[in-house]
Amino acid sequence: MTNQTPEIDTTCRDRVLTALDHREPDRVPIDFGGTPVSGIHVSVVAGLRQHYGLEPRLVKVHEPYQMLGLIDDDLKQAMGIDVEGVVGRETMFGFRNDSWRPWATPHGLEVLVSDDFQTMVDDRGDTLIYPKGNRSAPPSGRMPKTGFFFDTIVRQPPIEEAQLDPVDNLEEYDLLAEADLDDLDTDLREAEATGRAIIAVLPGMALGDIAFVPAPGLEHPRGIRDVTEWYVSLKKRPDYVRRVFAAQVEIALENLALIHGRVGDRYDAVMTCGTDFGTQTSAFCSVDTFEDLWSPYYRQINDWIHDHTTWKTFKHSCGSVERFMRSFVDCGFDIINPVQCSATHMEAEHLKREYGRDLVFWGGGVDTQHTLPFGSPDEVREQVLSRCEVFGTGGGFVFNAIHNIQAGTPVENVVAVVDAVQEFNRN
Amino acid sequence: MNMTLLEELYEAIVDGDDDLAVELTRKGLDDGIQPITLIDDAMIPAMTEAGRRFETEEYFVPELLVAGRAIKAGLEILRPLLSAGDLHHAGRVVIGTVQGDLHDIGKNLVAVMFEGAGFDVIDMGTDVSPAEVVAAIEEHNPDLVALSALLTTTMLSMQAIIEAIDTAGLRDDVRVLVGGAPMNEERAKEFGADAYADNANAAVRTALELVAAA
Repeated sequence: MTNQTPEIDTTCRDRVLTALDHREPDRVPIDFGGTPVSGIHVSVVAGLRQHYGLEPRLVKVHEPYQMLGLIDDDLKQAMGIDVEGVVGRETMFGFRNDSWRPWATPHGLEVLVSDDFQTMVDDRGDTLIYPKGNRSAPPSGRMPKTGFFFDTIVRQPPIEEAQLDPVDNLEEYDLLAEADLDDLDTDLREAEATGRAIIAVLPGMALGDIAFVPAPGLEHPRGIRDVTEWYVSLKKRPDYVRRVFAAQVEIALENLALIHGRVGDRYDAVMTCGTDFGTQTSAFCSVDTFEDLWSPYYRQINDWIHDHTTWKTFKHSCGSVERFMRSFVDCGFDIINPVQCSATHMEAEHLKREYGRDLVFWGGGVDTQHTLPFGSPDEVREQVLSRCEVFGTGGGFVFNAIHNIQAGTPVENVVAVVDAVQEFNRN
Repeated sequence: MNMTLLEELYEAIVDGDDDLAVELTRKGLDDGIQPITLIDDAMIPAMTEAGRRFETEEYFVPELLVAGRAIKAGLEILRPLLSAGDLHHAGRVVIGTVQGDLHDIGKNLVAVMFEGAGFDVIDMGTDVSPAEVVAAIEEHNPDLVALSALLTTTMLSMQAIIEAIDTAGLRDDVRVLVGGAPMNEERAKEFGADAYADNANAAVRTALELVAAA
């Protein structure tokens, strides 16, 4: 049951729901900006606003880590977007997107950032950002002078093997407060009013996501926070990893009950975890390691969701993850993103044939490593038409580029993407 | 099974058991085994095997990292006992992640494999500018420069670095090997690199070939 008012046109939402139900909708639905893994770099959002002749305004950086720009409703309409994200107000750097002020990027673009987006420029010319906006804490992110995104600064305390306590890797996970639930509800109501399908990013449910391991949102992280050390831990300290995941899931299940108690079945899909298992040509770990360390915990979260809600579960993993697809299905994921067809064994036709009955492909629409940033608009068009044909047949497809559209991508190529999806939909 | 110490050391490294690798390296020295024998007959073959398993997907990132730690732990014990020539017979390599890019998991894997193959590795870290690479070549006189990039946006820095090496008149002095997610053979050629490798083991194999052919 939903509380949508009758006057809201739900064509967009219905289209997405049909696709998620593995039936062919009237058109291939489109997502841009619904999640932090299907967004657009702020500089490209600004370019798109200009291209479509929209009201000149500074674009909000709502996800500072990857410098993703908020896609306002007017741009969503211009691009024919069918999905609305409820992504939460707290950023990866531990501050909230509550109020906005202008800021100039190192490349000279004026944007809007949260008041707590606190940075300094070091002697190399790099931009450093502070966790929770706290300038007295060591910075937790760095954007190189010539870069376009932040990356985490590893702040690894010395590791004393005997002193390692999984509790130290859990500091960032906590039960949601009443005020957090109020925010979710407010954001959801706004999203519902658009008539688009709703995907929510659920907090604290990413297990071992290497972007979160260094805890960019904490002022003084403890535990295992170094990226390499974390990968080493999968082999050397699997019990430690299991205990972190088990405790994290315990909190997650309580939060799921709280969230569902507040929003009910008004979410259409939920992103729980963006841990990457694939590299360009291979995998970060074996399927056996995945089954041992991740599957049981993913299953607990997904089972809870399927037992109590109508939400579809969304898994993001970059790279060559064909070998994990069956495991993803078995542990309860309904949707896979970003479907990196440019990686080994990730050919669109093969994925659709082998896994299309069980997984919705949310992504795979255009290659953001090669074709989109460096190809011609014609090459972009050709690829988009082909991917819509392959993935869209029989439903089970939400169009999105393969991961966020990166800085430096020609705006005309992004427009070519939108035009090509519309062309496909017309035919 | 009655394994020799060299076989046990080999197994310890392949299995990524750094404590055992240290213990066996010390024991080997106590037993009178020459340091270079420990390296040539156990450590390097072990790392070669770990690399082979990585390339054939019996091993993945964690297994290769722990094997790398095990060989490093053993080499640390032997280092003071060896001449640089003994330790670094394969050549010298300057390695780094290119300007604008802070991602180093792949670069670190390649660096550890180079070390395991007997290269003297000068690791410049991440976000390395063209000027810094040129300065490193001038300072260290390497046989090889190895460049990594994860991001599509930073990949073009590789081209800038190779051009800077050329402009500095050093291009004929070094071979350039490139790798990383957005790279491929075609791009490598386009950027003016000598070779491309798509995984850590292939990087070592290619590096040895490039140095041998120089």
